[in-house]
Amino acid sequence: MDTPRADQSRALETLGRSSGPAGLILSSLADGPKHGYALTKDIESFAGVRLAPGTLYEALTRLEAHGMIEAVESQDRRRPYRLTATGATALTTYLESQRKVAEVGLRRLADSWALT
Amino acid sequence: MTVSVPAPPTGDGGDSRTSQHAALARRLLLWYPRAWRVRYGDEFAELIAAEITERGPCWRRSADVAVSGLRARLAGVGMTGHPLDAGAAARAGLATVAACAATAGLAGAAMWAQLAVGLQWSVPPDRGITLAMDLMSAALLVLAMLGLLAAAPVAWTAAAAAVRGHGRQFRWPAVLVTAGLLVLVVGGHHFENGWPGTGGHLLAPQGSVPGGVAAFGWAATMWITSYWAHPAALGAFPATQIAWMVLCPVAIGCVVTGAVQLLRRAQLSPRALRYEMWLANIAGAELAAFVGGAVVWVLSAGDAGPGAPFRTGAIDRAGLAILAVALLGCAAAARHVRAAAGHG
Repeated sequence: MDTPRADQSRALETLGRSSGPAGLILSSLADGPKHGYALTKDIESFAGVRLAPGTLYEALTRLEAHGMIEAVESQDRRRPYRLTATGATALTTYLESQRKVAEVGLRRLADSWALT
Repeated sequence: MTVSVPAPPTGDGGDSRTSQHAALARRLLLWYPRAWRVRYGDEFAELIAAEITERGPCWRRSADVAVSGLRARLAGVGMTGHPLDAGAAARAGLATVAACAATAGLAGAAMWAQLAVGLQWSVPPDRGITLAMDLMSAALLVLAMLGLLAAAPVAWTAAAAAVRGHGRQFRWPAVLVTAGLLVLVVGGHHFENGWPGTGGHLLAPQGSVPGGVAAFGWAATMWITSYWAHPAALGAFPATQIAWMVLCPVAIGCVVTGAVQLLRRAQLSPRALRYEMWLANIAGAELAAFVGGAVVWVLSAGDAGPGAPFRTGAIDRAGLAILAVALLGCAAAARHVRAAAGHG
């Protein structure tokens, strides 16, 4: 039987081709609201990936529709977005599953290849 | 909570380069549907302009925006994963299923009418042609019935909304459907008389389709013809017939557009949506059966000489290709309706 936690994890995966950018966006928003350009720069700094504008906004649109982020009122034309509680839960589950994969991969590399 | 904002690359000076970047950003926005531009346009244009200022114009960025914009347009008609709410996604997908089915039905009806009229006049040289006609006729009949069954809940929802005083949004689509149908029926009945087979012919019993139905089908699809590529031959047609060949597709366009708009605007219940999906699945199977019948015709009529009534030409092969593409469109949209209904 699915747990609510598992459902939240799948919520990120159901974003299709936007699920990868969605994980980066939610991680970027975890420390506070950011607008599109700030997101691009932040993601580039911590992930080494430069999200193109179309890709970024496709993911933003879907994340907002799924209630994982919300727009912050702003006088500026560059509207900031912030993480919602739903988004925080989905991100936590997503990152935990990613960490598990990373830990297994690194352990096996260490055992077989002595690379770490 | 504070908003972290890096130093903006766009100066506020409003120099010519900045305004060029803003203009380029505005042009790129046109890839997106209007509703998307209203919601995200300003902030997205700001981002693009900032990117251009920092990194210069780049075809990869333009391509990314174009692809995302087209995906947003496809999402708006239920052809890709949808950012809208599940109900809107299901309605958009259903409307696309209806539009694809209408396109396929029209292409099929044009092929069918040619064959039906041919059977009023000639004995087919191959039994496969009669078999093809029976298959195509049965499939079209079922499709027409499915169309009526699908229209019922939509018409009911629109009528109920009108009774409650909320029918304004249905007014224009309903007018389009009614006017289009009126023109089609009256004009079709008038111009079917231009075909001598009207009302049945001496040889009519050899076909499964009544002569009047065949003649009406011919009149309603006579504009789907290769005569458009031969203006000299077309010039020999009576002016009223040419006018009808122009008016008829407009009328059909009105019916399809109005029906699709009604479907998109009607707030169907989840149960009604499931019913419509059930009908859409059957329609898909019927369209596939029709394509099968058409393929049998093309194969059976392969050796017919020029001028033979059952001969297939380039326009029939194009019709078959349109049918196949519309069928694939139906299947793709239906898949997204099912996904949206699953989330609803």
